[in-house]
Amino acid sequence: MIGFFAKRLAYLVFTMLVVSFIIYTISEFTPGDVARKILGPFATKNQVELLTEEMGLNRPVFIRYFEWVGQTLSGDLGYSTRYKTEVNNIIWGRLYNTMILASIAFAIIVPASILFGIVAGMAEASKLDRTISVASIVTTSVPEFASGVFLSWIFVIWLGILPGTSTLDTGAGWSIASQLVLPVAVMVLYDLGYVIRMVRASMVEVMMRPYIRTAVLKGLRFREVILKHAVRNAMIAPFTVILLQINYLVTGVVVVEAVFAYPGFGRMMLEGALSQDIAIIEAGALFAVLIAVVTQIVGDFGYMLLNPRIRFS
Amino acid sequence: MTTDVRNFGATRPRDGKLARLLRRIALLRESPVGMIGAGLVLFWILVAILAPLISPYDPNANDFEIARDWYPSARHWLGTDNQSRDLLSRIIWGSRTVLIVAPTAVGCAYVIGCLMGLLAGYYRGWVDLVVMRISDIILSFPVIILYMIIIANFGPSAFNIILAVTFIAAPQITRIVRGLTLELRERDYVAAAKMRGESAWYIMLVEILPNARGPLIVDACLRMGYTTIAIGVLGFLGLGLPPPDPDWGGMVKDSYALMSTYPLMSIIPCMAISSLVVGFNLLADGIREIGLRD
Amino acid sequence: MSEDIKKIHPYLPTLVNQLRAGKVDRREFLRTSTLLGLSATAAYTLAGCDEKQEEQQSSTTEEAPAATTTTTETQQAAAPTDNVIRIGMRVPALEDPATFSWVYDSNVTRQVCDYLTRTGVDNVTRPWLLEKWEASPDLKTWTLTLKKGIKWSNGDELVADHAIWNLTRWLDEKVGSSVVGLMKGYMLTEYDTGQKDDAGNPKMGTKLWADNAIEKVDDYTIRLNCKEAQLAVPEHLFHYPALILHPSENGKFGVNAIGTGAFTLTELEVGKKAVLKKRDGYWGKAPAVDSIEFIDLGDDPAASVSALASKQIQGLYEASVSQFAALQKMDHITIYQVSTGQTAVARMQPIHDTWKDPRVRKAMRLAIDSEKVLQAAHLGLGSPGEHHHVCPIHPEYAKLDFMKQDIEGAKKLLADAGMPNGFETEIFCKKDPDWEPQAVQVMAEMWKQIGVNVKINVLPSDQYWEIWNVETAPFAFTTWTHRPLGVMVLGLAYRTGVPWNESFYSNPKFDETLTRAEGILDVEERRKVMVELEQIMQEDGPIVQPLWRAVFTGMDKRIQGFQIHPTYYLFCEEWSLTA
Repeated sequence: MIGFFAKRLAYLVFTMLVVSFIIYTISEFTPGDVARKILGPFATKNQVELLTEEMGLNRPVFIRYFEWVGQTLSGDLGYSTRYKTEVNNIIWGRLYNTMILASIAFAIIVPASILFGIVAGMAEASKLDRTISVASIVTTSVPEFASGVFLSWIFVIWLGILPGTSTLDTGAGWSIASQLVLPVAVMVLYDLGYVIRMVRASMVEVMMRPYIRTAVLKGLRFREVILKHAVRNAMIAPFTVILLQINYLVTGVVVVEAVFAYPGFGRMMLEGALSQDIAIIEAGALFAVLIAVVTQIVGDFGYMLLNPRIRFS
Repeated sequence: MTTDVRNFGATRPRDGKLARLLRRIALLRESPVGMIGAGLVLFWILVAILAPLISPYDPNANDFEIARDWYPSARHWLGTDNQSRDLLSRIIWGSRTVLIVAPTAVGCAYVIGCLMGLLAGYYRGWVDLVVMRISDIILSFPVIILYMIIIANFGPSAFNIILAVTFIAAPQITRIVRGLTLELRERDYVAAAKMRGESAWYIMLVEILPNARGPLIVDACLRMGYTTIAIGVLGFLGLGLPPPDPDWGGMVKDSYALMSTYPLMSIIPCMAISSLVVGFNLLADGIREIGLRD
Repeated sequence: MSEDIKKIHPYLPTLVNQLRAGKVDRREFLRTSTLLGLSATAAYTLAGCDEKQEEQQSSTTEEAPAATTTTTETQQAAAPTDNVIRIGMRVPALEDPATFSWVYDSNVTRQVCDYLTRTGVDNVTRPWLLEKWEASPDLKTWTLTLKKGIKWSNGDELVADHAIWNLTRWLDEKVGSSVVGLMKGYMLTEYDTGQKDDAGNPKMGTKLWADNAIEKVDDYTIRLNCKEAQLAVPEHLFHYPALILHPSENGKFGVNAIGTGAFTLTELEVGKKAVLKKRDGYWGKAPAVDSIEFIDLGDDPAASVSALASKQIQGLYEASVSQFAALQKMDHITIYQVSTGQTAVARMQPIHDTWKDPRVRKAMRLAIDSEKVLQAAHLGLGSPGEHHHVCPIHPEYAKLDFMKQDIEGAKKLLADAGMPNGFETEIFCKKDPDWEPQAVQVMAEMWKQIGVNVKINVLPSDQYWEIWNVETAPFAFTTWTHRPLGVMVLGLAYRTGVPWNESFYSNPKFDETLTRAEGILDVEERRKVMVELEQIMQEDGPIVQPLWRAVFTGMDKRIQGFQIHPTYYLFCEEWSLTA
């Protein structure tokens, strides 16, 4: 067990180092001068040169890379040229906001996908199965911006019962809850179908296993067979898939946040990328990868605990 | 992708390759879902091919005559966009953009992904280790963030989108191909080829790869869907193809603000992109189904 | 009267006579006389009109009644219990106002801190923190007198030292303020720093041109001793970073910063919102609203429209062309619109071979049908451009024959220049706002007709602003904001060697004529020189200028007292809210 963790931890450190180096070098090729971005287009050349010197941007890449690693480790994430302030002043609030959105979506996706997936997988090729399968294919196929357009058209413009943007500002009389409905709905629609199909596939496989057939033949009640034997085993394979959705929900929600002007991590990354704000891109990408790698490790660990064959070997 | 590779073994009676292909396509008839998917994809392919014939106007021409009346009319069946350009023509030409960029990108990703996967799976050892480490690192990036970093740094263009898709999809394909190769390399016909003294490249490309095609075809279909979405999303985020040539995601971005007044301007490109992706995904499902059955 | 005003500036009596003779119109009279130091009230009295009304009328609205309601009336009307106005606008960090690059940066700070002067929506500049200004006849010495009794929010009185501290700071190169770009010509001089750059050339720095360039006369009076004559000093003091900050805060701005304005910043969440609360003890008229909130809705124009539709905000700081039709349809929104000198120009750098020949540059202009570009890219809101960057609302604007599209003429010019079959080239333009790439697209279609194939290279805004004034972008489409005077624009953009001369245009005859024009106070006389300048621009100049923009925005009908400013400056203390 300790060996498992040590190995994984080493892997995490290795990945983060490589990733940080890749991001830093790519950012070096980012068009544009950091000092120019801070001072804006109307400052003179002399002014820009002075600031470049003051910030030490004219020193070799390697020195600055190690300096950057040192700073990052000590908690200093650099200066954002987009927001004109320390990245630390921005990123934590944004991560927090996105976590709220992600947790709600996750809390809906997990039970719903398990329910629909099991119901569909229980009776393969039945009418219910076909309906759920096709519906989940269709919802996954609609890009987030498209479902954002469809839903806002219906609920904001036509019915007028939901606010058009989710700025998390309650001043105008729209509650936070009402502001979260549409972004969560779009995320759930886009992601749910995929997870349902994973659960379903696993359930179908489990239902074909001999011990389920035996149990049914032995005369146990069908409901009992499903609940006691099938579901537990059917959940092992999709466990990792479900956990990996955290990645998408936390760092992949750029489109949703852009559509609804939600002040979260994804919108921050988009704005950083559009204005080539190196500090934001670097810090954000590091966080994204960190979250990805950690969920991966948790996933592996959980899989190990769930799956008796691995656990006892 | 849970398909069992053994179903695609090369143990079938030999007859004309074309006949076999046709028979396989005909099998799709048994899957109504697959048929619908194939129909949708075929529809857009035809639209893209026939674009110059069926498009009523030049997609980039502003109609100065209609002033600011952008609603559908006898002159413009679906109306125009907010620059008075015929919406129908832009949708038609937009299908070309996506159906050129997406397959090219997926194709490039497959070339690289297959090579890497074959090398890793066939040679194993340190080659495997290096290839898998690299792909693990790329895969640890959230896709959309990786897209944004690449496009933001290298600029939005069709070439860079293809580059980005290749970069992101190739490691995923590598993993699949590697998995299939690890299994197929133990087969009798591979052993036979080795005995004949065939080169490693021959074995990988002629013996192993064609026999891994089943799951790969399904994956390619799904990947076309993802890539279509990715191109749309990049367009919507303002990282897509540069104007003026129409791209569906970009059309939504440009008109989304006018949705309260001119909903068609954004809803129609949304429907176009969704229907094409639905098509790819249903087709993939259909192919998988018949693959499982035969 | 005549003697009195002569003391203020010797040219004023002449100006009064011109007004009486009908040689200058009222607006121009107001502009020039206030520029020369006459108080706005006195100027309006001489011009025979009521100041408040004049200002109100000049901002036009689609629905006139809303705008003509005077502020006094609405204040008597019952204010709603929730007396807060919410405006959709980017909320960046505001740590260093001197380096603001955009108007929206300054819009939050502007409610807390003031400018020395204000240019109104009528394009007339008036003293604000100043009581008055006086210019010497040669326009080289400007005496600025502060209003007495203005109190900062911490209780200090505003004195000359405070203003001098700010002026000196803006002009300090290390601070990095864009005020340098405006004032360099008459306040600064270059000197050799003694260091060398990588290429071995001496590094040049800038400093005040003379020790007494900024001179304290007494506690309320400052004198600017300029290197060269300058007509537009008061206008420059209204440049968006030129906010007067309290020296004790060392140029930093933030929550609870000290200011002379009507509001205090109580909350600032970058990228999310900024909250301003009315403060007691403001030296002007107390604002009618309790609080102003700026809500950040990102760059997506659709998000702002949705927020307006759901009444999450009451107005936008600026609206884009892509939002116009949607705003029009909202019943609770009034669209405010004003003609401005805002524009964008496709500038060609004659230092490159492609654009060396003036005939080629003129051919590019002749290929354009400005009216059509205006229609297709800017919904016809504004007026067609005339390729000389002097706007019909500039006082000294001289009307030339309209430069019509002439494809044959353009082709002939190209043939004369040795390129009968045209050529291929590339233009850079900015992605946002969307009318810019649209205008470029429409123009590219027109250039195709004279055989010039222009590849469009659309860059993200920040990336574009990296290259707007460098040699490596021979052909690019740049926006220019509104400036009150024609000579101001030409001097900033086309004089040889000035920092913002993005086309690297250098024409001694143009420079010489421009200097002449800048020294002429008499608008009639100046206009004659403007004819020459405008002709040079059309025949030889480095730009294709397709349009002048009318700018607009949408505000809730409940907001009273809002006037749209040609540069989108917001003055929230003038607003009120009805129930």
